[in-house]
This record gives sequence, structure tokens and C-alpha cells, in this order.
Amino acid sequence: MLLTIARRIGIFAATLVAASIITFLMLSILPGNAARVALGIDATEAQVAAQEQLMGLDRPLYAQFFDWFGHLLIGDFGTSTVSGQEIGPQIGDALAITGVLVISSVILALLFAIPMGILSAVRQNKADGVIISGISQIGISIPGFLFGILLVALFAVKLKWLPAGGWDDPGEDFVGFLEHLILPAIALGSVQGAVLSRYVRSSVLEVMREDFLRTARAKGLAPNRALMRHGLRNAAIPVMTVLGLQIASLLIGAVVIERVFAIPGLGSLLLDKVALRDLPSIQGIVMVLVALVLLLNLLIDIAYTIVDPRLRSAS
Amino acid sequence: MRSFTRRKSLAITATAMVASLALVGCSAADDSSDAAASTELVVGLLASPASLDYSTTGGAAIPQALLYNVYEGLVKIDNAGDIQPLLAESYTVSDDGLVYTFLLHEGVTFSNGSPFTAESVKFSLERVADNWTANGPGYLDPISSVDVVSDTEVTITLSTPSNSWLFNMAGPVGTMFSPDGIDDLATDPVGTGPYDVSEFTSGTSLELTERDDYWGEAPFMSDVTFNYYADATAQTNALLGGDIDLISALTAYQLIGQFESDDDFAVYEGTSTGETTMTLNNQSDAFSDVRVRQAVMYAVDRQAVLDTVNSGYGSIIGSMVPPTDPWFDDSLVDLYPYDPAKAEALLAEAGVSDLTVSMKLPNLPYAVDAGQVVKDQLAQVGITADVTTLEFPAVWLDEVFTNHDYDISIIAHTEPRDVSAFAAPTYYAGYDNPEVMALFAEADASDEETFVELMKEATATMAEEAAADWLFLNPNVTAADADLTGVPLNAPTLSFDLTTIAR
Repeated sequence: MLLTIARRIGIFAATLVAASIITFLMLSILPGNAARVALGIDATEAQVAAQEQLMGLDRPLYAQFFDWFGHLLIGDFGTSTVSGQEIGPQIGDALAITGVLVISSVILALLFAIPMGILSAVRQNKADGVIISGISQIGISIPGFLFGILLVALFAVKLKWLPAGGWDDPGEDFVGFLEHLILPAIALGSVQGAVLSRYVRSSVLEVMREDFLRTARAKGLAPNRALMRHGLRNAAIPVMTVLGLQIASLLIGAVVIERVFAIPGLGSLLLDKVALRDLPSIQGIVMVLVALVLLLNLLIDIAYTIVDPRLRSAS
Repeated sequence: MRSFTRRKSLAITATAMVASLALVGCSAADDSSDAAASTELVVGLLASPASLDYSTTGGAAIPQALLYNVYEGLVKIDNAGDIQPLLAESYTVSDDGLVYTFLLHEGVTFSNGSPFTAESVKFSLERVADNWTANGPGYLDPISSVDVVSDTEVTITLSTPSNSWLFNMAGPVGTMFSPDGIDDLATDPVGTGPYDVSEFTSGTSLELTERDDYWGEAPFMSDVTFNYYADATAQTNALLGGDIDLISALTAYQLIGQFESDDDFAVYEGTSTGETTMTLNNQSDAFSDVRVRQAVMYAVDRQAVLDTVNSGYGSIIGSMVPPTDPWFDDSLVDLYPYDPAKAEALLAEAGVSDLTVSMKLPNLPYAVDAGQVVKDQLAQVGITADVTTLEFPAVWLDEVFTNHDYDISIIAHTEPRDVSAFAAPTYYAGYDNPEVMALFAEADASDEETFVELMKEATATMAEEAAADWLFLNPNVTAADADLTGVPLNAPTLSFDLTTIAR
């Protein structure tokens, strides 16, 4: 058991180091000079050279890397070469926003997917079941950012019910916070909700054909009650696998949705910093994203063993 | 292509009109709640500041938000484009144009409480040479000494007379700093202006709060937020949806109709200094021959480009000079009328046939749109343009601006009075005419009348030699809530001056 945990942590750390080296190398290959980007088209080459020195870009790449990595080991993300701001707090603020957005959209996706998936499975050959399947098929086909733009056009521009974008701090204005959250959370969660409902449907359909369910019904349980008591727990396992993968893709999807809605989350921060070629900031954000995805996978593994006791003895 | 764009914009306008008609009833209630928050202003902008320190970070975004609002200099450029005293109560210039004497306002303080005196002037100006990398530290090169006469009087002596010097002093490089207020310029600017930065979220928003110890007349708006959007559609939606009160330097020209047709909004069209420029690499094999460059000038129908890219908003200028500069020469507007036959003749004369050129465009909507139109027009005279789009700013700056690895590119040059910089042989256009450079130098040191004449001569030569195709001048379009007054009409500098806006 201890060995397993140690191995897990080892893989975790190695993946982070590998990701940081890959990001660093890729960004150094990428054309573009942070000093020139910072100064724009009015500066002379001499001014750019002075700026490179100011930003510490004139040092060899490995020196920049080890400097950054050394600080990271003691939990210091460093300061941005471009804005001069502390990177850690910036990432923290942005992560809190992206976190709220992703979690809200997961909840929305589940609230849609579980009942709809079960319903369309139970009523698979009836009209309403087919309609629900159809809706989720459409949901899968429409990219989240496009759905977001359509939502804005209708609810913000036309009806003026909700803001078109931006963000409010829940501590300062909770109603404003909810208003700003609704549209992006729906846009981000729509595809996931649709995808999940398909998985829930097929998973439930599969379970309905299982022997143990037939047994339960043979014992005299009503079909729906049998499904609720014995079926759903079994149907949940494949759905959870997909959910775990989807949260990772939601983090990435948030990058685009945050752009559409002008939300100051991790995605917006990442895109801004890439445009500025702000290497230490990009590194920090990528590290956090990689760590999050790894952590999610770990959590999903643990969740399996809770839902399915059979997996406990296997590990 | 063109008719498609028009039809689309018509459709959008029609939708917006229907939407606004449908909304007349329910928006009345919203307006009253807006009126209560009358001293708060939210401005929507596109490019966000990378940092708040314009001494080491270039681009228009920082001076747009901070100049004249948070930071002030001895002089400012007013909305008509004229130089006015600001922190200086008045100033005089010696007859030989070398000695400027500034009398300063009394009782001026920085936002950190420190007093502003003649010593601050000396400190700020002498700091530029060693500490500034962005926004043209070279603009102060004419200064030979700054002498403190008293707390409220300072004399600045130039080594040679310079017409551009005082104009530049009204820009970022003339900003007054406090010696104890420069520790954290990137995040915590300390200036003498009417506002202080209260919060800066990189890439998203910048909040300014009115200072209660401001030396001058208090601004009308107590709290101003700049919200930054990734694209013009999001920005437009924010105004339509009521999230913001004003869009400055609006570039989604096809969407202007939505605001014009709606009584809740007012649209202002003023002048800017943004010349959308199609630069021809004068050093490249394709364009080192002036006749080939001139052929391009005749082959391009600038009005068609303007109609497609800007929905007709803006004006044809024919040189790198906006009509608001005294040396604007309107005879240059028609220097190269659209004449494909003449273009072909010039190409034949130059012995060029089947010319293929690389057109490297920044991935900005206007540049990509303009590039498509120009590509088609060049094809009419037998020039093939291979179009690639480059990530802006990083890759474009690297490939086009720094390495000069291109034949044609398109970008808006937004700096005021940037024509002499464009003529430098080391600049990315590679235009090399020592006589023009000499004219600019002579103009700067001349009396005002000769200055204008020589500037005209130099800019006309650049246009005649087709140093670049200055496609058109962008207008400065502002869309705002109809109840706002004092909205700056023109953009003669990079600053978005908040001090006149009221509700």
C-alpha cells in the first residue's frame, strides 16, 4: 500500500518535471521575443537589448530554467518578466474563478445528464426517450464557445436578463456573481452534459440487461425500483471514468469560454501570457493545470474503490 | 466578398433594430437604476496593458488608460491636438528656441502624498535616458540640461531647437514622477493626475478611483473601470447588454449601425492618428525598384479596401500624415488613383512579369480583411501574393518587424507624428533616402513656418517614392450611453482622457 502511494507520488512529480521541461523548450523554440513584444514597434534594437537584460532574458536558457525551478521547489512561482507582478497570487485568483466555473458546469452537466440519460434509457423506444436522445445529440454537435455566443446574443444582448461577460467577486456582490456565472457555466457544461447523458443512457441500458437486475425483478421488485436500488450504482462506474476525463477537458474548454465571456480565469491568463511570451507565468500556469489533471485522475481512482467494492481488493 | 459583408451587416442591423424595438418597453426601468450610479463609468477597450509601467512596456494600452488620468506632464495635448500647459501654469520659450522656462502650479501632490516641485521635473526628465526602454526615450535627446530655479520654476535648455520636443513632452516620456513613487511602477503607478489606480487585474480590468487631494478641477466621474475584451464582438455585446457605458476606439465598424439605430446610444466619429499601412519591404528583391512599388500603388483601390475593412468609415490620406497635423497635404490623396493599366505599364517598364510576393499579415481582423482585398487587386495586374498570417504581436514582430523577412505586410501605425520614424533606413520598411532624413532633421530645428514646409516636402517625397501604401486613416469612433456628455471626440494622442466625461 505504502509502495503504491510512493509510486504514485513519484509519477506525479516526474510528470510535472517533464511537463515543465517540455513547456520551457517549446516556448524557446516558438518565435517571438518577450522584450520586443513588451516594447512594441517604437523601440530600437538597442532598447530591446536593454529590455532583455532588464527581464533577465539575456541569460542562458538552462540558467533561466533552473532559477525558475529552484524557486518553484520552495513554492515560489516568481514574478512575471512582463508585468512585474507576483505570479503565485495571480494564478491563485484566476484558479479560484476557473474552479468555480468548472465545478458549476460539472454540476449543471450532471443535473442534466443523469435524469435525462436514465429517462432516455428507460423509455428508449418511446417518443420522449427519442427526443431526449436527439437533444443530447445536438448538444454534442454544438461547440461550447458557439453555444456561448448564442446564449449571449439571446440573454444578454436581446433580452438583457444577464450580463454579456465579465466577473463579480462573490464576496462583494453575490447576486452579480451568480448572474455572471450562469451563461458561461451553461455554455461550458452543455457539451459535457450531452456527452454524459449518452454515457448514462448506454450504461443504464447495459445494466438493465444484466442478470442481477433480472433476478431483482424476479424477486418481485418493480422495474424502476430495481433499477434505482441495484442498477444505478453499477451504471455509475463507466460514467465516472468519462466524468474524470471530462473535467480535464472542461479545464481546457474553460480557456475558450473565458475568452468568450471575458472572465479573468486561468484560461484568459494563460492566453494573455502566451501572447506576451511571459515564460515564468506560462510555466506556472501549465504546472498548475498539469497538477490539477493528475490530481483529478487520482481522485477518480479513489472514487472507483468507494463505488465498487470489488476494486478495493483488486488493488 | 464585398456584397456579402454588406448583406451581413444589413442583416445584423436589422436584427438589432428589431431587438431594440422589442426592448423599448422593458429597458425604461433599467435606465432609472443606471442614473443612481451616475459617477461610475465603465469603459470597454480591446488591447489590455501588459503592465502599468510605460517606461519599460510599449503599446497603446498603458498610456490610453493612464496618461492624463493617473499621470501628468508639464504640458498636454488637448482634444483639438494643440499643446496646453498642464502641471506648468505657463511656459515661455527663448527667441533662439533653446531655453524653455516653466512656471509650475503650486500645491500639487502625487498620489502618495509627496509634493510635486521643480525638483520632481529634474528627477523625472533626467531619469529617462538611463531607465526608459519603451515609448521613445530618444524623444528627450534634445535636452542638454534641466535647472531648478525655485520650487515652482524650472528651465530646460535644449542643445538644438526642436519642434517635436514639446509635443513629445505631452506624451508618456514627459510624465512627472516622484522619487519615492517609482519602486513598483509595473503595478502601483504614482502620479499627479486626478485618478489613482485602485485595482489592476492583468488582461481583464483596470479600476481608477478619483483622488480627493487632486490639485486641479475634480473630474466628474468618481470611479472608472476599464474592461478589456478579447474581440470586438464581445466588446459590442457588453455595451448592448448594459455591462459597460462606453466603447472607445471602436473597430467593429460593421456593428456601428446597431448603436446608431438605438436611441439609448450615441456614436461619435472623430479623428485619430492611426494610419492603416500596407508596408512594402523596400529592401526586398520584389520592391527595391521604385517603379514596382508605384505599380502596387496604382493597382490598389484604396476606397474598396476602406469599404470592405472599415465599412467605409475613415478617410484616404495618401501619406503617413493625418489631416489634423499641420503638414497634411491633401494633394497627395489622389497621387495614385486606382489605375490597373498604369500599374501594368510600370511593371513592364521595370521588366517584371509573373511577380510573386510574400504577404505576411498579423492575425488581426482588419489586416486579414485588407490583405484579402489587396491580394485580389494585385492579381488583376499579375502580381501573386502568397498570404500567411502570423500571430500578433510576438511572431509578427519577430518575422516582419525585426527580421524584415517579408515583401508586404499590413498594420495600423497608431503613434502620433510617426512619419519621421518610418523613414529611418533601419526601420522595417527599409526605406532609405538620406535626403528625406535630412529634411526631417532640418524641419525639427527650424522655425514653425519652415517646419511645416519641410515636413510637407519630406512626406511628399516619401509618398512619391511609394515608401509604403498608407491605405487609409482610421476614424476614432466612440459608442456610448446617450446620457454621457463630454465624450472625447478625437484621439490626437494615445491617451483616453477621462477628465471631461460626465453624466
